Amino acid sequence: MSRKITSHDPAAGFFRRLRNTLGPKGMPTDDRGRMRMVLDSMILHIHPAKVDVRTLRFSYTWGLGGLSALLVVMLMSTGVLLEMNYTPSPPQAYLDILNLRTNVWFGELIRNIHHWSANLLVVVSILHLLRVFFTGAYRPPRETNWIIGVVMLLLVLGANFTGYLLPWDQLAFWAITVGTSIVEYVPVVGSWLSNLLLGGPEVSANTLLNFYALHISIIPVSIVMLMSYHFWRVRKDGGLSVPKTTAELAAPEEETTRPERVTTIPHLVRVELIWAVTWIAVMLTVGMLVAAPLEGIANPDISPNPAKAPWYFMGLQELLLHFHPVIAAVLIPVLALGALALLPFYDISLGSVGVYFRSWRGRYLTLIATSLSLFVTPVWVLVDEFALHWTDWLPGWPTWISNGLLPLSLLLLGFYTLQAALRMIFKTNPEERILIGFTYLFVALIVLTIIGIFFRGEGMQLFWPWEIVPAH
Amino acid sequence: MMKTNRVEILIGMIATLLIGTGLLLYALQEPQRLVMAQAAQEQSDINDAMTLYAENCTICHGMAGEGIGSNPPLDNEGLRGTDDETLFKIISRGLFGTSMPAWNQEDGGPLSDYQVGQLVSLVQATDWQAVQDRVVNLGLVPRIPFAADPDPEVLALLAEMPGGETLSLGITVYAQECVACHGADGVGTALAPALNDPLVSEKTWEELERIIRSGVSGTLMASWENALEDEEIYAVLTLLTEWDQVPAGAIPAPDFGPIPVTAESLTLGESLFATSCSFCHGPEGQGTQRAPSLNVKGFLEDTNDQALQQIITLGVSDTSMPAWGDRLTEAEIQAIVGFIRAWEPDAPEVAEPARSGGGPWWQTEGNTAPGQGGQGGRGGQGNSGNAAGETAAATQTDNAPAGNGNNNGNGRGGAWWQQEGSQPPGQQQQNTTAQASEIVPAESPVAQAATNEAANAVAPDATQQALAMAEHTQQDGQGGPPEWAGQESGAASSEQSGHVEGEIPPFLLPDEQPLSWSERMDERAWLIVAAAIIIPIFLLVVGFLGMLRTGVFRRRSSVM
Repeated sequence: MSRKITSHDPAAGFFRRLRNTLGPKGMPTDDRGRMRMVLDSMILHIHPAKVDVRTLRFSYTWGLGGLSALLVVMLMSTGVLLEMNYTPSPPQAYLDILNLRTNVWFGELIRNIHHWSANLLVVVSILHLLRVFFTGAYRPPRETNWIIGVVMLLLVLGANFTGYLLPWDQLAFWAITVGTSIVEYVPVVGSWLSNLLLGGPEVSANTLLNFYALHISIIPVSIVMLMSYHFWRVRKDGGLSVPKTTAELAAPEEETTRPERVTTIPHLVRVELIWAVTWIAVMLTVGMLVAAPLEGIANPDISPNPAKAPWYFMGLQELLLHFHPVIAAVLIPVLALGALALLPFYDISLGSVGVYFRSWRGRYLTLIATSLSLFVTPVWVLVDEFALHWTDWLPGWPTWISNGLLPLSLLLLGFYTLQAALRMIFKTNPEERILIGFTYLFVALIVLTIIGIFFRGEGMQLFWPWEIVPAH
Repeated sequence: MMKTNRVEILIGMIATLLIGTGLLLYALQEPQRLVMAQAAQEQSDINDAMTLYAENCTICHGMAGEGIGSNPPLDNEGLRGTDDETLFKIISRGLFGTSMPAWNQEDGGPLSDYQVGQLVSLVQATDWQAVQDRVVNLGLVPRIPFAADPDPEVLALLAEMPGGETLSLGITVYAQECVACHGADGVGTALAPALNDPLVSEKTWEELERIIRSGVSGTLMASWENALEDEEIYAVLTLLTEWDQVPAGAIPAPDFGPIPVTAESLTLGESLFATSCSFCHGPEGQGTQRAPSLNVKGFLEDTNDQALQQIITLGVSDTSMPAWGDRLTEAEIQAIVGFIRAWEPDAPEVAEPARSGGGPWWQTEGNTAPGQGGQGGRGGQGNSGNAAGETAAATQTDNAPAGNGNNNGNGRGGAWWQQEGSQPPGQQQQNTTAQASEIVPAESPVAQAATNEAANAVAPDATQQALAMAEHTQQDGQGGPPEWAGQESGAASSEQSGHVEGEIPPFLLPDEQPLSWSERMDERAWLIVAAAIIIPIFLLVVGFLGMLRTGVFRRRSSVM
């Protein structure tokens, strides 16, 4: 590419000079120019000028990270538009949502896109986490990014949860009431924390304002900052983990041959663009066809039955039905999240990065762990629901032991037995045990969530899905 | 590479096209969508507001916004054309000098801004007939604005007295406008204080006049300044100060015409009475231990149709008489009233002692018909029972020895509509006593044979209702009902009962037996259970076979 024409170039005319200031002149024709363009561009320079061709394989990444980033951008742009038609104070908040529906051009569409994108973001973030886990991509040198990712997942859940309240309808009000009541069970600081979050003893105008501030500034700003760091970290850690086949894994290191690297433009950028446009089209279509739910205005006097938390917390709410709240709402989530975030530090194997499920053995063990969890979790829910009455059996004991630590210890004992059994039968190594453990517990969470969403009806009793009367 | 390239580009183009055309199409229908959303929102607001209206406004503005007394009608063009803000202010803050109080929470009322806004929509655009239906269905029918006819003899008497014209005008006006709240002869009602009272006549003329002209803020007493002529106000004032000269009974309670009755309404009323009322009031309205007799001359003569309708609609507080207004429509309640009224000509002078003697009707097992056939010997009905009746009784509960009928039985378990003749024996025992009286006549011709003419007084109706219901719900297990079951009401009530059954108030239903899990297992449930078992097993097998393939049993995995 020749010398860059600047706005000061006297040779160019007025419009030429203006145009040259605004952007690159023409598309590059050679690889050198393409690399130059990436480096010169503010947006594109999050990418290296060249990428390993193997990391472009779609069936390795499934475009999940990019989709999450796209959804964040879409959420911010729609969110800002929604913000312009919204007042975070109780009756008006609901009226504003109605107004979006009845008077604002594209109001309903934007709200729908925002709503469904937010829900999709939760799903995609979790899938992204699964992809990284199952390919072992969290291992050094990417362990920092793994922690950042876990934190961002929590922020996404937080953004979703705070956004849930903003329409100020019955659904929002009671889901948040149920969701925040969990906070009170935190030992010692619980009520203080709940007071801080809600701005008072219960969900009220203050809560709406708090959640609004969290939703539109604190959480998005944190997400954007962490996202930037996440992207930067990807490059600093040497790009994406490189997919390998099991055969490559078994073969001795052959890093002598230089990996084939291709220019980011067009190979990566093209795929990203098409992926983005496709998902924008999908979200637009969904937004046009499916209305975001909206119920009657929040009424603290009429509580729906059952009152359920947002769907992504239904696994937690299901746990609350089985354990003392301190155990279900504090101990188990804290332990699980801690174990998840610190995963790279106790899973010290370095090999098998880039191979889905580590190896063929890993794939089959994942299946076995999935099947065991699919079987054990529902059975445990049923047994605990109908057969186990710890508090009745141990009347003198504090309930956080009799209905908390005791069953939890038994479950952990069962979990250990399972690992030991698989170790005995299949001679699993530590890496595989972590794989089994993660799979087992994650599937259990999914099953609990499904039971919570579809099988809990009036009074949070177990029902068949078709027997459940809508909340009333 | 080139091929992938093309597919990718195709996907991208389709997506771009979708975005472009989608947005265009959406933009084209957006104005339409907004209009529709506005209409839908207004409907939804009005729908909510109807309930608010019923709960808060009917007492002054009437069931259908027709206005009561000096309280203005809302069903008028002027208000429909009034802008949002004005109406919002009036409802929120009230109107000074009228009995309209402030309704907004900010002004000390019970309603939120949002609800006031909904009421504004209601005033502007509702169909008042629908409002009336809602009010009736919620059982919130207001005291009907009524005017009474003053006793003509008293008027004639007064006319001869000096200055009597003024007093008689006062009586007339009072009977037109005031009696609704202040009651017959000024004795007062729950809504407004007595006026025929020394406390009132002691007040000064000016004070009374001010009250009538300006109303009393914070009460239902409105300003009558514009509603009445000066001379009418003067006449009413005269009445208030000289009430002691007016003979009692001069201003009677208003007389309403009877509720119109047709053959259809009687049939409907009969079946509704059978399903909703007879359990407590007895199949012939003769009363049970749960509720008083209705089929008695004194009650029917003292209680006019409107009062009956009001009692059924609103219920009677502190008794077990529920408000039926939210379960039945006005037409249905009037049908019941018509049906009850039809008893009046033949009603006994004294409440039929159905609860003395041989025990309450629900306890008389299969013997009801023959037993009551022997009119004089109610106490002996147990004896005149037939073998079938006795057997049925014998299978009955432990807590109610058959035949002696002294069980004060809660009877709850045995609401008659629950037994349609073909219940499994186990269930029969769960229920208490009532069933046999229905089961036996429905099933056995014996009971029918025993029915003699005299029994018609009570029995046929009871059995007939049962049969109608039995016919409705019971598809099999009954060898054809006796021919007298097919009387005109049979078909009608079986049609009706489908509708009515669902409306039986919960407290009347027998204690609900939750379905057991085995009963709840239908095909879909089995499908889920099967999937929950088969899928894990399948995955387990695949995983296990895979592990075999990797040679797990031969050596420790070398992969690390």
